[in-house]
Amino acid sequence: MTAWDEHVTAALLGTERRVPPPLSLAAERSTPGAAGGPPPQDAEDGDAAGRLLDQAAVLTVRRRAGRVPAAGAPEPVALAPVEDAPAVPGPAATRLRRILVGEQIRVLPEWLDAAARHGLRVPAQSLPDLLERGRGDRSLRPLIVRAAGRRGVWLALQNTDWAYLVGAGDDPGGGPEVWETGTRNRRVAYLTRLRGTDPGRARELLRATWATEPAPDRAAFLATFAHGLSLDDEEFLESALEDRGKDVRQHASDLLARLPGSAYGERMAARARACLTPEKRRTRGRTRTWIRVEPPRAHDEDLARDGVPFHPSGSFAPRSGGEPVGTRAAWLREILARTPLSTWTELFATTPTEIVCLPVPEPDGRDVHIGWARAALAQHDAGWARALLKGGVLADEPEALADLVSVLPEAERDTAAADLLRWMKGRSDALRVLERVPGPWTGALASAVVATLDAAARPGLVKRITTREEHLVTQLCRLADLRLDPAVAPRLDHMDPTAAPAVTELIATLRFRAEMLKELAP
Amino acid sequence: MLGLAPDAASAKAAGGVAEPAKWAGTGCDDEAVWGECRGSGKSAYRTCADLTEPAFRCSCPSRKFPCKHSLGLLLLWAEGAVDGGPRPGWAAEWMEERRARAEKAVERRAASAAKARDPKTVERRERRVDDGLAELDRWLHDQVAHGLAQAEKAPYKMWDDVARRLVDAQASALAGHVRGLAAIPRRPDWPGRLLEEYALLRLLVRAYRRRDELPEGLRDTVRSRVGFTVPQDEVLADGEKVRDRWCVIGQRDTAQELLTTRRVWLRGRRTGRPALVLSFAAPGTSLDASLVVGTEIEADLAFYPGSPPLRALVAGRDGPVAPGRPAGTSVRAFLDEHAAALAQDPWIDRWPATLESVRLARADGGDLFAVDDAGDALPLRPIDPWRLLALSGGGPVTMAGEWSPRGLRPLAAWHDDEGTVIV
Repeated sequence: MTAWDEHVTAALLGTERRVPPPLSLAAERSTPGAAGGPPPQDAEDGDAAGRLLDQAAVLTVRRRAGRVPAAGAPEPVALAPVEDAPAVPGPAATRLRRILVGEQIRVLPEWLDAAARHGLRVPAQSLPDLLERGRGDRSLRPLIVRAAGRRGVWLALQNTDWAYLVGAGDDPGGGPEVWETGTRNRRVAYLTRLRGTDPGRARELLRATWATEPAPDRAAFLATFAHGLSLDDEEFLESALEDRGKDVRQHASDLLARLPGSAYGERMAARARACLTPEKRRTRGRTRTWIRVEPPRAHDEDLARDGVPFHPSGSFAPRSGGEPVGTRAAWLREILARTPLSTWTELFATTPTEIVCLPVPEPDGRDVHIGWARAALAQHDAGWARALLKGGVLADEPEALADLVSVLPEAERDTAAADLLRWMKGRSDALRVLERVPGPWTGALASAVVATLDAAARPGLVKRITTREEHLVTQLCRLADLRLDPAVAPRLDHMDPTAAPAVTELIATLRFRAEMLKELAP
Repeated sequence: MLGLAPDAASAKAAGGVAEPAKWAGTGCDDEAVWGECRGSGKSAYRTCADLTEPAFRCSCPSRKFPCKHSLGLLLLWAEGAVDGGPRPGWAAEWMEERRARAEKAVERRAASAAKARDPKTVERRERRVDDGLAELDRWLHDQVAHGLAQAEKAPYKMWDDVARRLVDAQASALAGHVRGLAAIPRRPDWPGRLLEEYALLRLLVRAYRRRDELPEGLRDTVRSRVGFTVPQDEVLADGEKVRDRWCVIGQRDTAQELLTTRRVWLRGRRTGRPALVLSFAAPGTSLDASLVVGTEIEADLAFYPGSPPLRALVAGRDGPVAPGRPAGTSVRAFLDEHAAALAQDPWIDRWPATLESVRLARADGGDLFAVDDAGDALPLRPIDPWRLLALSGGGPVTMAGEWSPRGLRPLAAWHDDEGTVIV
């Protein structure tokens, strides 16, 4: 027991019960490193408490002043691996810190994406804040994985809160054992990867355990067949049409509908051809081809097996007239949506653009066009998407049209979306279209958005801005702030900020993004 | 720059204001930046920042200080978006006012310093302190005589009562210290620590009793630890003046009751001397933000009397603020310096450390250490280590912190690529 411990024990018990240990001051003096404070005077006789305190003071100062570096020091933390990527330049690092404390926090994904695209990484000191953000927001994680550099992984290995960074991004990695032992998400990721490289092996792997997997897992695994889908999968998918799980059946029929040349497609095409037939009609002395529409009269087991339920979704939705769509029209839509589009180019022996323009008696025409639009989306058919967008059909289905924009080649999207926007000028539907067009909005689309804002936020001198217009502007600004090309900002400068405060915010965000992207560009 | 912001919300708002489009008539010269910011209302706010301190003035009604306009203006200036030019009338006037006020303050201080204290008041106070300390001494005796074991279950009130009596006795510094002791029995390893504190209190009481025999510096230290304050003007007039290039190496705010105390640690580049600049803020007022961690200034510091002199005031600045990285020492050199300081003032409980090229190490229990090139280690106080760890990546950094008997509390770190980071 050291002298100090003896003093502590005596103090704990109380000097009334325990006589304080003696402390030789002469020994004190000669102890090296004990350059203590003023030595205590001899305590008065009988003042044990005073003596204890005085001695403790000497010992305390001696202990503090005589401190030597911790013996048996632990090994320093292992060095982080050297980074390949350079850190972002100074101004970008400063901006990231501003973003991470909450300024324009919504641009964080864009910052991370831009940094990763330019091969830059997040500066080390911002990593803890960033990883903490990723902990709360799953959507950030894949971006963080790309931009955090090796230091990010090194750090995450030491903090279980950030474990998501280690092998839990888009591609968790791992060998075949993942399929045996992994969680559902990891197995799905493994299967997806395998479908990308060797679809056949992935199918055989799944077939081996198919019967024993629970239904939700079967559905999730089957969904991975969207990658590397080919006619080799047909037999497996056909058998899955009779699966016990409803979602499994749905996935199987959806996948088969996307598979060109399948027996499923043939069956659907046969049904579809029974519904739509070309018909020559003479009007005003000219012969034209009309489409005669005969929706299916009855629903049968085979139709249900091929993924068209008795009440397809949307069959109770009201039409423009107020009547519900009804099951027959809904069956027609579903059948058309699942029929290979090549059926029609063969049947009418012409291009999609002309087929879309063929006259159809209403109200069936709408069902036909909706069916085709769904088919174009599912089959990723740009030709049909273009034809439907240009054809001026589906005017009251803005969502369907907006979805078609995503099928177009990237170069055409902006123009197509801009046309759509101009076409439904000033209507609140415009927002529903724009919602479905991912950023960045450049070129024609950017101009169209600016024009829409202009029209709504700058009414004539006489007309005051209405609540509806203000609402539209506010919504549009919210939608545009992260998607609009930041280079557009100067074109909004002339707008009167008092008309709509949202415009000021939009400009501020666009500027912020413009500066941000400039800082990150090499 | 954003370290100047009073809170995170202001820092965020400042970023929003730092848009060239919102500003008109901006300009700057060596000492000041100014501009007019268009707010939400009709009139523009005139904002001006004195770069030498920095100090701010803005015509906006915000009660935050510095306001978002001032910070936004500084951000713009830092981005190089403000061009040089002549000062407009209002900005020149304000800078002039500031200078006049500073001069007047100097005069006023000189006047009050010249006025001698009333000897009767001084005598009365000394007597009260004597009585208060004698009572404290008796209380300390009782604690040790009856045993410290009862402290574990004792309510906070026990120490609070003693503190209150010390306040009545006008020994305020001691009162604050005693009040802080109430937390010790709630921590592990408390008996030893409580005994240390009681022993040092007793040492202080005895030293004060013998104050007339003590050398001058030590006497001043004892007096200040008891609670005798030295007015600022006296320090500025008579205190030891040290001219140096002072690195601001760390800052820490602590709140006790309603008062927030900001400790800013400085280290002289040429003299190697440490200095501590304290500022206090009651609720609703802002702390002194003129010293920014990671910068250095050429300045005269006036030290409060004491041995060793540590607490100081900035008496005069020369030239603008520049980013600076302090020179550090090894762990062993730091401990030697600390021991030498303790030899002069045994009550020192915080001392600034700047350690060069230290790496972080983790013991088996998870405790962190800073290890220097020689393999000497200092324990770190339990802190959120992630920023420090991320910054260093296990490699060496220069680290500044506050050393206390319980370990080193890191305050700032410098890294070759990343610059200054406040931990």
